[in-house]
Amino acid sequence: MTAIAPLFLDPYRLAFATFMAERREPEAISRLRHAAFARFETLGWPTRRQDAWRFTDLAALQALNLQQPSDARIDAAALPTLETLTHRLVFVNGRLALALSQVRALPEQTTIAGLAQSLSTHSPRIESVLDSLPGLQSHPFSALNTAFWEDGAFIYIPRGTVIEEPIHLLFYATGGDMAVYPRLLLALADGAQATVVVEYRGQGRSLNAPLAELHLGDNATLHYHQVQEESPQAFHLGGIRVRQSRASQAQLHLFSSGGQLARTDLEVLLDGEQAGCLINGLTLGQENQTGDYHLRIEHAQPHGTSEQVFKSVLDGQARAVFDGLIHVRQYARKTDARQTNRNLLLSRQAQVHANPRLEILADDVKCGHGSSTGFLDPDAEFYLRTRGIPWSQARALLVHAFANDSLSRIALTPLRERLGRVLATRLALDSIEGN
Amino acid sequence: MLEIRNLYATVEGREILNGIDLIIRPGETHAIMGPNGSGKSTLANVIAGREGYVVTGGEIRFDGKNLLEMDPETRACEGVFLAFQYPVEIPGVANLYFLKAAVNAVRKYRGESPVDAMDFWDLVHERMELVKMDESMLKRSVNEGFSGGEKKRNEVFQMAVLQPRFAVMDETDSGLDIDALKVVADGVNALRNPERGFLVITHYQRLLDYIVPDYVHVLVNGRIARSGGKELALELEQQGYALYNEEPGRARRAA
Repeated sequence: MTAIAPLFLDPYRLAFATFMAERREPEAISRLRHAAFARFETLGWPTRRQDAWRFTDLAALQALNLQQPSDARIDAAALPTLETLTHRLVFVNGRLALALSQVRALPEQTTIAGLAQSLSTHSPRIESVLDSLPGLQSHPFSALNTAFWEDGAFIYIPRGTVIEEPIHLLFYATGGDMAVYPRLLLALADGAQATVVVEYRGQGRSLNAPLAELHLGDNATLHYHQVQEESPQAFHLGGIRVRQSRASQAQLHLFSSGGQLARTDLEVLLDGEQAGCLINGLTLGQENQTGDYHLRIEHAQPHGTSEQVFKSVLDGQARAVFDGLIHVRQYARKTDARQTNRNLLLSRQAQVHANPRLEILADDVKCGHGSSTGFLDPDAEFYLRTRGIPWSQARALLVHAFANDSLSRIALTPLRERLGRVLATRLALDSIEGN
Repeated sequence: MLEIRNLYATVEGREILNGIDLIIRPGETHAIMGPNGSGKSTLANVIAGREGYVVTGGEIRFDGKNLLEMDPETRACEGVFLAFQYPVEIPGVANLYFLKAAVNAVRKYRGESPVDAMDFWDLVHERMELVKMDESMLKRSVNEGFSGGEKKRNEVFQMAVLQPRFAVMDETDSGLDIDALKVVADGVNALRNPERGFLVITHYQRLLDYIVPDYVHVLVNGRIARSGGKELALELEQQGYALYNEEPGRARRAA
């Protein structure tokens, strides 16, 4: 019983051999998979002795006998919509479900399609960008994703093209201890604009380890939303890599309320002058949920801006982890980088581990960070109660005000309103109007 | 309507109120004056039910009901209102939404249906006039970024909308210039009627030029040292609290 790690990795080796034996795909893709699997074997399964995994407890996940994904039928009526015209791709257990998907008419040369099917139509383009971003090299689940992805979305928006309708990618898992590795490859050429909503849903227990790669060309604009509302038994260990060219603007809105363990590792490389990103995160945790974010914002070029605002609301024994690094390279002068982490604890058993970090190698930069964790303001609670508002409603109002600040940054109205309803339901508020 | 009998209270283990007796009947306005640390604000907070203010003796009855057994929201629904000395800023909760939630909470307590949106809007507009409040303040977060005067006007505005039967005004004059003071006092005076009682707490006589009380009480070291008519306030203005000041500032030192 001493050699735990090799014994544990062995099933992965077998699974990988089996997986590769069935694949018929371009040589370049196979090479990526082999390289990624070798990286996973080198990295090994994370342990809590590693700094990046100190607060992420994988014991319950490790105890599972994870299964290969299998097809499942789901009822279209059970799937959420954005209540507006969208391009929509639905994936069940990581595989594109064509019958549930609909892509509307697109401008020339624009692609919004399944990644597996696109390998036969857009192979050179995919090969040139897949797994080409530098981030998350030491993230074992990103390596696993590259080794094991079956399907996902491929989005290419050509130069100067604006896609008005949101692109809605819905990943649904049906449980059964399946391990699913969805892949998202998105490339916005110079001046292209898109709004993307990536939604993770499901039932039962499974591992969802998605990896998104987002390429923004010069002056491109991306509004990216990740909505994680998986089942309370689910494990989510996702990665997002972003590379931004000159004067591109990205907004990443990350909303998380599901899963027993939901962790996202995110790396943004601001690789052109005047590139800017806003990262807006809101985690709602209750019972034994853990919501976990690890971010690295890499300022590589001058005049870049980044703003991170991460909030969590934790009830029960829920935990939140926020590990955020702003790294400003020597060349990246005139960088303006801000990071705010605010956590609201609704119970004495809830916990937060916050680790905001700045590493600044350049002169002449504006960088700031702040982290705070606290309970509801008793003076505000009392004030509301002296006006007749019952204690529970007073608390709900204050929590809503705290969290709604994050939602109000989302420009995509139907999504903002839907998440507002999720929040109100969670807080048992009838309705919230006004601002 | 409000009967306070032999009231003792402590804050963080310190005795602040040391046997207060006070009866306020419908339509009456009482002023409580006193030096800093005499227990004025403690009395206001005990009436409103703030946590940390522990009643160690005596009772408060409101229309015969035991007020001290009620939580703060029940006291409010029964018709007790506290205008805060330091109104609390609540970022992210719009003033208008907050008021509507309060009005509906009180209506629900009384077994009434939620207020009709149009009726509510009419009421709000009418009451805004009373304290010369700008409509933009409705959309702003409760008290957030309000000036001292705006905060106090907002307190009176809330009172005007909620229409309590008994209101405690805790140092409503503090931090106000004379114009703002007049506006606030006019608002309070407009709400005075034969059914409504007021307890006006102030350090200075100045407020009582504008809100003229029926009775004035001098609070010293947690006890009412003297009671009289409105002329008592003028006397205090001339002589100060020195006469009563055998052991000043006990509550303030506790705070």
